[in-house]
Amino acid sequence: MEYLKKLHDAVLNGDPPTAISITEQALGENIDPHILINDYMIRAMDEVGARFERFEYFIPQLLMSAKAMKGAMGLIRPLLIGDGVGDNAICAITGTVKGDVHDIGKNLLGALLEGGGFRLVDLGTNVSPEQFIDAVKEHDAKLVCMSALLTTTMPGMKTTIDAFMDAGMRDDVIILVGGAPVTQHFADEIGADGYKDNASAGVVLAKELLGITKNN
Amino acid sequence: MAEKSRITLLPLNQSFEVEKGSELHDVLFTYGVEFPCGGHARCRGCRIRIKEGILPITEPQKQILNDPEIKDGWRLACQGIVNDDLIIELDQWKSDVLSDDTNFQFTPMEGLGIAIDLGTTTLAAQLVDRNTGEVLAVETAINPQARFGGDIMTRIDTASRLKKQNKMKKLIRVQLYDMITDLFQSSKRSKENLKRVIIVGNTVMHNIFCELDVTPMGFHPFEPISNDLEIYSPTELKWDLDQDVIIEFLPGVGSFIGSDILVGAWVQNISESEELRVLVDLGTNGEIMVGSRKKILTASTAAGPAFEGAGISMGMRAATGAISTVTFKNNKIIPKILGSENPRGICGSGLVDAVSAYLDMGLIKADGRFLDGEYIIVLDPVKITQKDIRELQLAKGAIATGIRLLLQELNSSEDDVAEVYLSGAFGNYISKKSSRRIGLLNFPQKKITTAGNTALLGAKKALFNDQRSNNFYSIREKTEHLDLSMHPDFTDVFAELVNFPQKRN
Repeated sequence: MEYLKKLHDAVLNGDPPTAISITEQALGENIDPHILINDYMIRAMDEVGARFERFEYFIPQLLMSAKAMKGAMGLIRPLLIGDGVGDNAICAITGTVKGDVHDIGKNLLGALLEGGGFRLVDLGTNVSPEQFIDAVKEHDAKLVCMSALLTTTMPGMKTTIDAFMDAGMRDDVIILVGGAPVTQHFADEIGADGYKDNASAGVVLAKELLGITKNN
Repeated sequence: MAEKSRITLLPLNQSFEVEKGSELHDVLFTYGVEFPCGGHARCRGCRIRIKEGILPITEPQKQILNDPEIKDGWRLACQGIVNDDLIIELDQWKSDVLSDDTNFQFTPMEGLGIAIDLGTTTLAAQLVDRNTGEVLAVETAINPQARFGGDIMTRIDTASRLKKQNKMKKLIRVQLYDMITDLFQSSKRSKENLKRVIIVGNTVMHNIFCELDVTPMGFHPFEPISNDLEIYSPTELKWDLDQDVIIEFLPGVGSFIGSDILVGAWVQNISESEELRVLVDLGTNGEIMVGSRKKILTASTAAGPAFEGAGISMGMRAATGAISTVTFKNNKIIPKILGSENPRGICGSGLVDAVSAYLDMGLIKADGRFLDGEYIIVLDPVKITQKDIRELQLAKGAIATGIRLLLQELNSSEDDVAEVYLSGAFGNYISKKSSRRIGLLNFPQKKITTAGNTALLGAKKALFNDQRSNNFYSIREKTEHLDLSMHPDFTDVFAELVNFPQKRN
């Protein structure tokens, strides 16, 4: 089991081939996939997030860590289907609002959400309020994270929150907003549940608001 | 009579009275203070320090300023209402506007012409004798629309959602006419000899001046209703000029790429070149043109304001007290401060130089991390933080990625490029060597040429050309706009080029 530490390090250091080969070996030895996820990969991604927040890690490192985690998850996910655990994970929806197509920041958040144990449904960019609402219904999501990178597209966040209210679904979901021009003041003004200026802090906030205790 | 308050501005030491209840935003704007986010308390750009008097702190400011700052008297000018006599220290820079004195080829013509570069931030106009090619007078100014936001997206938002477009149009038309009047006054020439006015600018500036709704420019795919050639008579613009004068706003390509960059490509003869040429206009919006006789591609990329010193912890414009260059000799760092012995901050060119030197010294690694510690002191008290490095990486990464993807679309690489032209104010001051060292321009130094204000030069050249029958319009037809944000390789290329290159010579 000593070698499993290498899985943690491979995710932390952004080394997809090692992450995949260690996962293969572990699964071959019938090690419980949940141990791989909870004890190694999620902990590694927590550290990745913390380093990103301190500006030690930057976009390339985060992308590579996410790639390593994704590679390992590709092997593990088929084993989780049907055992109820994968399905029980809280579903998070991410998307860049209508009229906006920037997605690097949103994708980093998505990677950290997955790393944080969420079941991620990413709606991509240019997402309308109706698409957000339909996705929440379809996936029974508890968390919606909206991104906007432009002053001009930011109001789309308010439109989406208003649409959730009109649909009578506002209380069913936690809605977080983020993106370069967004501020806490703006988030309060439009009735979002929270805002953070970086992806890592966003995941911490999401867990807090959903009442998920840290470190399993 | 309404009660008044006295305001004193430092370091200018200007003093004046305003009515109590006046918005500080309006008052200070007339004194050249800029509001980068449009006065919405979203940035720190309009920071002022209250030296005497009371200016209450408001809730939005608490989001932006920290407690020690507030205690020290720092406020955001955009949020203040004047109700007390105030002595205010302006934290802002004086912006210097780039003009042009490049020689150019022309066929002599009758009468006078005026070339205008209508920039998002700055305006430059030149009165030209079309017989001799001589520039008779120059006028520069801050774009009066700047009070509605520094960057182009805030400007669009204010025009469209807050319905200020008509007001913006009036402001700019009045301002340009004032500049035209001043050109004649200072040159002592007669207005009657004026034949032609050529205006160039980016698509949003074009649309606002030409009364075309900018709303679609705020949303993907960021295409204007139109950015064609618009021709006016003086009456239409309410300009008191001879009725024969023709005023033209030259056409752009598409999306944000306007006539300013298009005439730049024209004066650099990109469309007649056998070999690949690159034109880069460095600003908050980086605009890039790449091409040759065969084909030209163009794209705009959101580089953010790091090159202008904004978003950098001790960043400032190239004003008094700014570290403007840093040289690295015999293992020693030699910073140069503008017009003072006491450094106050660092401007874009200084930051690029400093990072370049620290890369050579090994204090900054290729991935942007400091070798150790949280900051590097350039010259006490001016320091660079890890976050500053990240901001610079984002800015230079965006430009380098734009260039790489355009070249890739032309099945070429940086090695195939014969000439690189760097235009715009920042391009004028940045060191070629340092811009190569940090991987902003991945070309050998000898291929890089500082081209100055090519927009103004292009507008000037257009004063001598027949409408529609010249090669300017053939460039426009040859040029295609590429939407970088939709490019499938964008993230991967960006993740590569956001890093600094390994040691190079």
